[in-house]
Amino acid sequence: MASATGDPGLSKLQFAPFSSALDVGFWHELTQKKLNEYRLDEAPKDIKGYYYNGDSAGLPARLTLEFSAFDMSAPTPARCCPAVGTLYNTNTLESFKTADKKLLLEQAANEIWESIKSGAALENPVLLNKFLLLTFADLKKYHFYYWFCYPALCLPESLPLIQGPVGLDQRFSLKQIEALECAYDNLCQTEGVTALPYFLIKYDENMVLVSLLKHYSDFFQGQRTKITIGVYDPCNLAQYPGWPLRNFLVLAAHRWSSSFQSVEVLCFRDRTMQGARDVAHSIIFEVKLPEMAFSPDCPKAVGWEKNQKGGMGPRMVNLSECMDPKRLAESSVDLNLKLMCWRLVPTLDLEKVVSVKCLLLGAGTLGCNVARTLMGWGVRHITFVDNAKISYSNPVRQPLYEFEDCLGGGKPKALAAADRLQKIFPGVNAKGFNMSIPMPGHPVNFSSVTLEQARRDVEQLEQLIESHDVIFLLMDTRESRWLPAVIAASKRKLVINAALGFDTFVVMRHGLKKPKQQGAGDLCPNHLVASADLLGSSLFANIPGYKLGCYFCNDVVAPGDSTRDRTLDQQCTVSRPGLAMIAGALAVELMVSVLQHPEGGYAIASSSDDRMNEPPTSLGLVPHQIRGFLSRFDNVLPVSLAFDKCTACSSKVLDQYEREGFNFLAKVFNSSHSFLEDLTGLTLLHQETQAAEIWDMSDDETI
Amino acid sequence: MEEDEFIGEKTFQRHCAEFIKHSQQIGDSWEWRPSKDCSDGYMCKIHFQIKNGSVMSHLGASTHGQTCLPMEEAFELPLDDCEVIETAAASEVIKYEYHVLYSCSYQVPVLYFRASFLDGRPLTLKDIWEGVHECYKTRLLQGPWDTITQQEHPILGQPFFVLHPCKTNEFMTPVLKNSQKINKNVNYITSWLSIVGPVVGLNLPLSYAKATSQDERNVD
Repeated sequence: MASATGDPGLSKLQFAPFSSALDVGFWHELTQKKLNEYRLDEAPKDIKGYYYNGDSAGLPARLTLEFSAFDMSAPTPARCCPAVGTLYNTNTLESFKTADKKLLLEQAANEIWESIKSGAALENPVLLNKFLLLTFADLKKYHFYYWFCYPALCLPESLPLIQGPVGLDQRFSLKQIEALECAYDNLCQTEGVTALPYFLIKYDENMVLVSLLKHYSDFFQGQRTKITIGVYDPCNLAQYPGWPLRNFLVLAAHRWSSSFQSVEVLCFRDRTMQGARDVAHSIIFEVKLPEMAFSPDCPKAVGWEKNQKGGMGPRMVNLSECMDPKRLAESSVDLNLKLMCWRLVPTLDLEKVVSVKCLLLGAGTLGCNVARTLMGWGVRHITFVDNAKISYSNPVRQPLYEFEDCLGGGKPKALAAADRLQKIFPGVNAKGFNMSIPMPGHPVNFSSVTLEQARRDVEQLEQLIESHDVIFLLMDTRESRWLPAVIAASKRKLVINAALGFDTFVVMRHGLKKPKQQGAGDLCPNHLVASADLLGSSLFANIPGYKLGCYFCNDVVAPGDSTRDRTLDQQCTVSRPGLAMIAGALAVELMVSVLQHPEGGYAIASSSDDRMNEPPTSLGLVPHQIRGFLSRFDNVLPVSLAFDKCTACSSKVLDQYEREGFNFLAKVFNSSHSFLEDLTGLTLLHQETQAAEIWDMSDDETI
Repeated sequence: MEEDEFIGEKTFQRHCAEFIKHSQQIGDSWEWRPSKDCSDGYMCKIHFQIKNGSVMSHLGASTHGQTCLPMEEAFELPLDDCEVIETAAASEVIKYEYHVLYSCSYQVPVLYFRASFLDGRPLTLKDIWEGVHECYKTRLLQGPWDTITQQEHPILGQPFFVLHPCKTNEFMTPVLKNSQKINKNVNYITSWLSIVGPVVGLNLPLSYAKATSQDERNVD
């Protein structure tokens, strides 16, 4: 315990300042007030705070402001003392900086001084507990600048300690301590409060009496040279009283120094831990009362709070994390996804999903649904390509559009879709490109203008595919998938393809060709594909990703389920309304499962037969295709090999594209079917393009 | 199959009142805060803790939220040699807030919580976990109550972390059935908080459980 004797540091009384404690609720409420009530009004506002004295050791004395700070009639929390404050909220950082802090402090000090002189503070001691709060709220950034002040009047000279601070248990007997508790509690009860900031004490060996300040003259009758005062002390330090005592001592000096020479101060500290009440850690000391028969002018005052560096300056707190709605949306989305890891799939590598860059070719029913599912997975980078405008029939099936988007000829889909994503979730990085994708059999050589346009479109598409990780083919025509399928195969990008019939769909990943630098032919030392080769692939099982077919391969290899499914790709785009949501969702889930596989796009294709086996990823199977039949509410998982005469992914086509670039592509666009047919040796092309003519009439076009 | 143990809103409030009564007796700081129209409310506790070393190292990133302005004041302040210079660093104090609300849809109590520094800067969920005792961390990953989401406080409208109530009934049913079997009176709040609280750093003194059984004896 502290002892005064022999310690020169204690000869002069010092006080522990408050630390400002601002609940985030206070900042929320200040924001609301500023936006809805104060607006540009800079007039001072009444607010209130409180302090507590039941802390466990080590905690600093705090002046706390909560969301209730603006409600002057709000009850003070139990066993806390109120403090009345003035809020100066400025409109600009500049006026925050230039506010005359000295003047503000002097004004407040003067009010305290007047209440001491007039006796108002004796009637209502809370008047001694004044504080100022200067703020500037930058509500664009959710940055709050603030500076607290707890005005304390200074005595003309520092107070000489007659008896240094000791623990109450060293001065009071157990019986006296109990009597003190009892007297204090009774007075609180009589007053209808749970804490008294300032009070008077009289004691002898057998009893302790406690009184309100306003009864001082009766209470002090019979006291000779010394009086005892009590202060509800928020400070925990064994050596020092807290800040509230300062103004109380000035009051004591002003009122009573003419009658008494010294004042004994009990810093009342009252805590209950684990059911046991303890006031023994209160401290008690005696100081000489200064001659306070001084001038009626207000004494000098101090009280601006130091900042974290201990300097005289304001503080700033950045609360964008918990107040900026955009930041909140992001953290909530992330947290929801992380839950999946914590609870259900601990080995899920979310980063692989969240960081993937997705290019959506087509912003129709499929594109909209794919985008929404990607957002659900927390994918942040989504780019749309489409050349259509939003028509009146679209919004009911395409969930990124609204009626308003159709007016005035309709907004371009790709741009509108990107805007809408940004509105749904500002954390997403969404872009739209309103452009056409050149198609085989759709000549571009009408003029140099159309040819140049096609060249630019191809270049643009090449760049887009290059700068994304996963390419979704979601168009409503079959032949528009050809060019991106070729470019993506050449650039070794993962392609996810989804196509709809009336009540059937196919969702598939294209086979991912072996990395180019691995040399020509099938001599592939790449460990990524080696495991599959070791297992030996047959026509039906263990087909590694690089041997899988693409959309155009599979078009000639008939799906193995039933003859009912044969016509899947040859139907028009009128489909059952739920189908696009199912297929769009499956396309994204397929991508996610592929990304979770350690071999990614090279993963061996799971088939329907693998449904009973140990799944290859934490999320389950990684199929090549999902073919769904809504009429039977059934899905199958066919696997098919790449076709060496494929019009899109065969080496003949890819070699030509890589050698000749646009010249080759232009030939494909401009020629009749026989060009590709000749190149690949296919005779089926004629048959296919007949089907393509039907596809030309998509639901958006009016011919 | 056991019958599910839900708890009605009236029962919830009664159990809270009992719980708060004991809290006041032992100087724990739980209190009831009514909503503005007083139709409902929530039970809450605020708890301060000095940041320990292990938390501190991790907090490096989030302390960026608080900065001093480069505007040390030019105005002259009266010299004050009466201020204690070295007091506990306020920035090292963490304020934990625990709110217990009633969920009408799940018919169980829900624990909302958040933690912040004294200037209001929130701790991230990761920061809060650093403060959770090691022995609860494994439970956090396996337990039935590890369903933390971020939601708006239904009464305050401010973002809080929430232990989602979807599993509450699942783990509370055996607890309550068991105490019924041995004919012991339990306070739902006490049992439930003693299970979910430690996961987010909220520890319940044993005396709460004793208090309930004592009340029962008084009734007998």
